[in-house]
Amino acid sequence: MEQKKTFVEDIERTLYDIRNEDHSVYKTERGLTEDIIRDISRQKQDPGWMLDFRLKSLEQYHQIPLPVWGPDISELNMDEIVTYVRPGGKMAENWQEVPEEIKDTFDRLGIPKAEQTSLAGVGAQYDSEVVYHRVQKELSDRGVIYTDFETAVREYEDIVKEYFMKLVPPKDHKFTALHGAVWSGGSFVYVPEGVHVEIPLQSYFRLNAAGAGQFEHTLIICEKNSSLHFIEGCSAPRYNVTNLHAGCVELYVKEGARLRYSTIENWSRNMMNLNTKRALVEKDGLIEWVSGSFGSHISCLYPASILHGENARCEFTGVTFASKGQNLDTGATVVMMAPHTSANINTRTISKSGGAATYRSAVKVTKAARGAKCMVNCESLMLDEESRSDTLPVMDIETDDVEIGHEAKVGRISDEAIFYLTSRGIDEEEAQAMIVRGFVEPIAKSLPLEYAVEMNNLINLELVGSMG
Amino acid sequence: MAQEIFSALPMRTWRWLGVNEALLPKELRQPEALAEGPEQASGGSRGEITKAEDAACTKKLNTACRTIHVPAGETMEAVVVYRKEQLTEIQADVAEGGTLNLVCVQMVPADSAYAGSVTVTAGRNAKICYTAVEAGSSHTVTKLQIDLAGEGSIADVSAVYFGDKERRIDMNYVISQIGKHTDANMQVRGALQDASDKIFRGTLDFRRGSKGSTGREREEVILLDEGVRNRSVPLMMSGEDEVTGHHAVSAGRMNPDRLFYLMSRGMDEKEAQKLLVQAMFSPVLDRIPDAGLREEVAGSIEERITDGRS
Repeated sequence: MEQKKTFVEDIERTLYDIRNEDHSVYKTERGLTEDIIRDISRQKQDPGWMLDFRLKSLEQYHQIPLPVWGPDISELNMDEIVTYVRPGGKMAENWQEVPEEIKDTFDRLGIPKAEQTSLAGVGAQYDSEVVYHRVQKELSDRGVIYTDFETAVREYEDIVKEYFMKLVPPKDHKFTALHGAVWSGGSFVYVPEGVHVEIPLQSYFRLNAAGAGQFEHTLIICEKNSSLHFIEGCSAPRYNVTNLHAGCVELYVKEGARLRYSTIENWSRNMMNLNTKRALVEKDGLIEWVSGSFGSHISCLYPASILHGENARCEFTGVTFASKGQNLDTGATVVMMAPHTSANINTRTISKSGGAATYRSAVKVTKAARGAKCMVNCESLMLDEESRSDTLPVMDIETDDVEIGHEAKVGRISDEAIFYLTSRGIDEEEAQAMIVRGFVEPIAKSLPLEYAVEMNNLINLELVGSMG
Repeated sequence: MAQEIFSALPMRTWRWLGVNEALLPKELRQPEALAEGPEQASGGSRGEITKAEDAACTKKLNTACRTIHVPAGETMEAVVVYRKEQLTEIQADVAEGGTLNLVCVQMVPADSAYAGSVTVTAGRNAKICYTAVEAGSSHTVTKLQIDLAGEGSIADVSAVYFGDKERRIDMNYVISQIGKHTDANMQVRGALQDASDKIFRGTLDFRRGSKGSTGREREEVILLDEGVRNRSVPLMMSGEDEVTGHHAVSAGRMNPDRLFYLMSRGMDEKEAQKLLVQAMFSPVLDRIPDAGLREEVAGSIEERITDGRS
């Protein structure tokens, strides 16, 4: 007997796939050479130390081999990637000044509207440059800095110099070295001691040009006892050539500070998403990651939390949805370096229509982390037999006084659950929908309302009780 | 250098964790050591094979070649004790409806390295019960590969390890669930003390087509001293949706409530710890059919718990 299977619609992409004509005013040549790096640096009017930094990173990029694990990324040809694309117009603080076509794109994505209703500040990046950046006056009066990264390099050079790529050094891996060489755009946030930013800030990254790379740098510093919720959104229209995203996120959470970093990533399915995110958390600090991975062709994304001070904490919540043509290798890394640090990792992965989802994680407990606690829970749902789902966690514990627990499950929607619900008078389609919604519920509830809605739209759970 | 890799994780991950592969211990890479392997064993010094109690299922096994063939419908029991052998290999196949109960106890002297490999293929409705005790040697590397090839085949794997002093233990267990309606159960328990260093990799691999299969994997490790290092790598791979897989790892010190209870009954801390480790190991050790051997293994571990912590 042919088994009935829940049919989950692919993510609705029409909205994201609207592409604009490429009206960029400046592009570098394809590929990666010292001349191109010098060219980017000149265009951006980098200070001398930044040019040196870029050139040194390029050297490292050439020396570091490709990773020998994870999804096959050999189809990526750096000689074909345009590393810097400057859209028309100047950075604006008013949507009216943003070129029409670009503004339309962000309108469709709902960014200006969200800014009015639920955000304290917005940054919008189009290709390699930030086109819009604004923060509520009330926040800047309290000393909060939220600006695009180029402005930060000019106006807050000392801070940038102290923190830029110190947590994620270019030599870390091939794509951090690449990032160090060609970075462009991104956001800089500084929250002074004791300041609580109650309303979230959001940066939205849109890559419009075909065959281009986006390499934005995000640096957030939360001083002692401050708090912030930062949201990052990403999308791009679909092209037949490979686009590359190799951004870098560095988060500094000082003593007693709290930072929530939420990402809804919906790159198009020609995107290689090789992003590096890392947080350094001091005493009594808290980093919360909320990570939704829906798009891209290949993703390698494992936000890392370095719990450096006593009682530092990490909460990681992630959902990954891999469909046709997608290989999403996601997870988390936690390094516990101080007494009584704790971490909670909670993930859900769904794979369908031949998609491959991997949960990959590393939990490292050093000798100094006495009294450390870490709980990991990952569940994987497979919706058909063409798909793949792999779970590869590693725990490395170097002391005895720890409580480490890990649990993972893989399977499909159980017939018993469906039977139970239908026996209660719920029709079968609704029963299946309830179960899939219930499966991602732990993630949906950690998102702010608007984004929970966006995620639901993304998943677009149109469940039809049909075919296998 | 490739020949020095003794076993590899079925899916690679970050290099800095050092778990992608296990190298053969240095002293075993010498040609002399290699030559010792099977001959020594056939000398039969200590490699013992016991007959199963059940008259219907008795088959003599040849320890020299260490291949075990269980004919269809028969049940066989094999208990292998390694006391000197440093390189061992067992290849077994269990034909339709057969059962193999294989027990391997490794008690190689504390100053020698040991590398052991076990490969089992199970046919339709066949069952493999595998019990391993890693209690000896200074540097142990072992690998287990079970292919549940036939429909309805079952693997029931239970292992204990005990690490003390500078002992290094590296285990790589893989159960591939290939046939339909297979069932795998992997239960591993261990205790680490002093400066021992252990890696356990346990993989349940649900191949495409293994419809209706189920698998469970659990590792529990008790950490007795500050100087230990424990690496646990529970892997679950799935190319089939119609399966149920579950894995869990727990690592930490002894349950303080239980310790407190025993101490409130007049036991000192060491005695209480010893008792708790024994209690944890006994479900696995109970699978050793020979009472004398069982007591010998339990006694040797018990002795070292006291030793290490005096």
